[in-house]
Amino acid sequence: MSSADAPPAHRKRRGPKWGLAIPSLVWYTIFFIVPIAVIVVYSFGTKDSSELVPVDMANPTLQNYREVFSDLFFTVFQATLEIALTATFLCLVIGFPVAYFIAFKVSEKWRGLLLALVIIPSFTSFLIRTLAWKIPLSANGELSKWLQDMSWIDGPIDVLGTRTAVFIAIVYNYIGFMVLPLFVALDRIDPALREASKDLGANRSSTFASVTMPLAGPGIAAGVVLTFIPMCGDYVTGVILGGVKGLMVGTLIDSQFKGAQNWPQGSAMAVLMIVMVLLALVVMAGLFYLSRALIRLARPVVDSYRARPRKAPRVRRIPELLRPVLMIWTVLVLAFLFIPILLVIRHSFNSGSAFEIWGGEYTTVWWGGETQRSASGRLKAGLFDFADSGPMLVRFAVIMAIGLLLPAVVSKLRGRPVRALSRWSGVVAFGLAIVVNGLMTDWYSDIFQNAGVGDSLRGSFLAAFGATIIAVMLGGLSGVALARHPGKWARVFMGIVFLILVTPEIMDAIALAGWMQRIGGPFTSDFGPIPFGMLRLWVGQSLYASAVVTLIVRARLAGLDVALEEAAGDLGAPPGRAFRQITLPLISSALIAGGLLSFALCLDNTIISNLISGASSTFPVALISATKSEIAPFWGVGAVVLFVMTMGLLGFLASVLKKSGNSSSDIAATLGGG
Amino acid sequence: MTTNERPLRMLAPDSFRSVLSRRALFSAGTAAAGVVLLAACGDDSSSSSTEAPSGDGTTAPGDSAADTTGGGQTSELLSQFSNVVNKSSGALAMFTWGEYNDPEIIGALAEADLGVTMKVDYYPSNEELITKLSAANGNSGFDIVVPTGPYIPQMIEKGLLQKLDKAQLPNITNIDPQYLGRDWDPSNDYNVPKDWGSTGFIYDSTKVDRELTSWADFLDACMNEFSGRCSVLDSSNNVAGAYFWANGIDWTTEKTEDLDACEAFIVDELAPHLKGFDSYPSTAIAQGTYDCSMVWNGDARATYSRLVDAGLNPEDWKWVLGAPETELWMDNYCIPTGAPNPEAAHAWINWLLTPEVSIQDLSYHGYHSGMKMIDKLIAELAPDLTYPEMIFFTDEEVATMRTGSVNSSQDRIVEITDKAKAKAAG
Repeated sequence: MSSADAPPAHRKRRGPKWGLAIPSLVWYTIFFIVPIAVIVVYSFGTKDSSELVPVDMANPTLQNYREVFSDLFFTVFQATLEIALTATFLCLVIGFPVAYFIAFKVSEKWRGLLLALVIIPSFTSFLIRTLAWKIPLSANGELSKWLQDMSWIDGPIDVLGTRTAVFIAIVYNYIGFMVLPLFVALDRIDPALREASKDLGANRSSTFASVTMPLAGPGIAAGVVLTFIPMCGDYVTGVILGGVKGLMVGTLIDSQFKGAQNWPQGSAMAVLMIVMVLLALVVMAGLFYLSRALIRLARPVVDSYRARPRKAPRVRRIPELLRPVLMIWTVLVLAFLFIPILLVIRHSFNSGSAFEIWGGEYTTVWWGGETQRSASGRLKAGLFDFADSGPMLVRFAVIMAIGLLLPAVVSKLRGRPVRALSRWSGVVAFGLAIVVNGLMTDWYSDIFQNAGVGDSLRGSFLAAFGATIIAVMLGGLSGVALARHPGKWARVFMGIVFLILVTPEIMDAIALAGWMQRIGGPFTSDFGPIPFGMLRLWVGQSLYASAVVTLIVRARLAGLDVALEEAAGDLGAPPGRAFRQITLPLISSALIAGGLLSFALCLDNTIISNLISGASSTFPVALISATKSEIAPFWGVGAVVLFVMTMGLLGFLASVLKKSGNSSSDIAATLGGG
Repeated sequence: MTTNERPLRMLAPDSFRSVLSRRALFSAGTAAAGVVLLAACGDDSSSSSTEAPSGDGTTAPGDSAADTTGGGQTSELLSQFSNVVNKSSGALAMFTWGEYNDPEIIGALAEADLGVTMKVDYYPSNEELITKLSAANGNSGFDIVVPTGPYIPQMIEKGLLQKLDKAQLPNITNIDPQYLGRDWDPSNDYNVPKDWGSTGFIYDSTKVDRELTSWADFLDACMNEFSGRCSVLDSSNNVAGAYFWANGIDWTTEKTEDLDACEAFIVDELAPHLKGFDSYPSTAIAQGTYDCSMVWNGDARATYSRLVDAGLNPEDWKWVLGAPETELWMDNYCIPTGAPNPEAAHAWINWLLTPEVSIQDLSYHGYHSGMKMIDKLIAELAPDLTYPEMIFFTDEEVATMRTGSVNSSQDRIVEITDKAKAKAAG
């Protein structure tokens, strides 16, 4: 093949550098930038309940802002800031030793396991985990009684409905998002730098203060951003455990939109919340740089160690106390993270009729099969209809077994079709099992005995599946564009992606809710075979998920040599073919990782889904409604089912990444979006 | 007794199946224990007469209940009711409040009796229901919704509900006429009552030296003995209502001075003492979070079984119906505009109006379902029903109950509650 004529011709055919990112740009403009701009506009409107979009823009006014600055609402803003700042600080203080321990004090083998243990709780339904805290914290609970029996406390535990409960819930829910970026930052520190510091005579604390801490700076900043911002917009965690003491701005905004139908007021609150968040971040960044400057001022003290290098060995001889202390701390934090999950599992077998109150015995009635009627006439019915779900599991197992065993049987045969068969048989069997079972159980509606929870579980999967497909397509394309065709546009695009990641979800949620109403069409009715509401969920959940996929793909490609694709081009491959045969295989592991991660994120998406979902409910959305009445233990069963499925997905994700040669540290970095 | 049993879709040994059949359930000991259990309902001298239905023990135990689909033996009492069950098919989507129907009635039984597959979704407030239906603009996909009475006029006005076809609802004659033709829909063109209830409070009598009997007592105790240990409903009208009822003001008032006084009291005086705005405090009470809570009667009743679950003494807790005046709310089955399967919706609602199904549902949620001759029905179909006095009220009690309205003061009342929450949080 002569290389003289072909390549220039192909180069001319190229579109603009950012061509691949166009779909994402359009998507983000329509469903993120414009809706949020509209919210800003609404905040100057007046309420008009007679309209479907209850906002009247005829007489723009500042009244909504004046109202928010009234004493009462302002106290809620203050309280929110107070809670979020304190909780962020607590997350940092509690999480840093854990990240430090995992990064420096354990072997590679343990590192992966510990990281997984930190991350796993973040991927279970956060509502049910938060609810589970009510069990140990209740004044009449077993823990309270036990502590009183041991006479460690005088009266019953009095935590529920107080600020303390709010802190426990919030720190619990967000600490994973602090530990992960901290770990990534610490892990990236070149060990040679810390060694050098020791060799130069610095003791452990001065190495920590002048080498480790400054290098961990970006991780701390990322952790603070990742925890503080969502905390400010959270509107369920605090209220579930703290009752009225957990009232935060997000709750107010939510009630303005869903309860009072006062969109202009809610919009003004949301705008002010963003301003508050940005101000707080600016102040924190200021403090951060100030403290760095102070550390630099302290440098001369560190330099003085150079004068006495011989003392260094003596420092090392001090018995290693740090490691066991850190280890105990890490174990305690992990216990803190897992206690609620274990309680959820236990209470899905609760003989009582309320999820939070242990009835004293174990029963499988909430899982399915036989139903019971209590003395008071209340029927206890389980989630699953074993008559249909049992055979379904058997069919699934049989088909999967055939699919997985087939390659071993045919491995003796040779030839391309056979190889393809053995490579794909597992995936094909999985798909087949899904379809066969779907057809035989009316797309899984027959396997549930409890219509409400069952439908919401199905809705969760359908919503997460659609949103993930959108996210993978958009994120894959824009990730490639970012890594391969950087330029000024990339900075703008990354700015948008960053905004999507850091805007409090409640803001996106109300913006989308109003915007979809205004667009109408497919967002306010069935869309072909897609039931009303599902499209809303796909769009809403795809925003955050596609931003995550973008970052993962970009990170993956940035680490790979561009020469491979160039070589393909030089050898005469048209761009489409080069993309298919070179780029796509290169990013396939990133696409799978990103896809599974966004699937897990979408499954538990609560805040956006709750505000925009139409008639299509998801598990977290249905559970939010349930938290306002009673929660029967079958919600715990639903959560356990989701947990098991998410775990399966994440296990698959880890094995895919492991196969493609990534270390656990890389996996963590991938999950952390960097 | 298992010969004419309707198939129940579940995996259970046959011996257990018979226990599960609602026929067996309701008939268990009806004849023998009926009189004794009637005594339990006896102090409930509710609207209709309460004389013991002495002639009811005619049917044999184990086969006493009527077969609603025809055939079988019908008791004398049940023969006075319309028992039409129209078969239907397809999917039926209901949007309702949490834990508000017997799981069997929205599951296996609906499929067996009617041939419909139910989908259920939940909302926590009428406002949210209206928001979601408005957002869908007639395409919500729901066939049945369950709004509270006073919200119905604005839903009709916004075109969110469709007229019912009364020809498909023959069993509506089973409803006590006093629950039909309410203000919000005088000719029942749009709604069929689901159930009704009232509001009061429940408190731990071991933690207070006096007896609390009225809304004024409740509010006073919240600000004194139970300060920081009490909750009110997370429902704006009820919070404001407690103040109005305690002070002899009509709770549907639209006068600015009434609302101002209400705001001054609720926000400045009451709010700082509140621990929660909780519409279903039963679980929290059993967990020891509140000592005194404003509560709807059905949830108050559920609180007693929660207390038993948690190993506490239910005797310590006292339920008080609000006085001198209190609420009468009624939730209603309606069919939203654009419902995909209105035929099944009618069939299901009509089926819910058959005495057996109605009483089975009542036993689950604990609210008066509006059936005529309800005390006799209970005696025959659900004699084991606990705390009947918290479901069925006396004529004197009913006379103190007032239905609410959603009027020009609604926004103000929501605002007052929002402010009270902000104040309580601080």
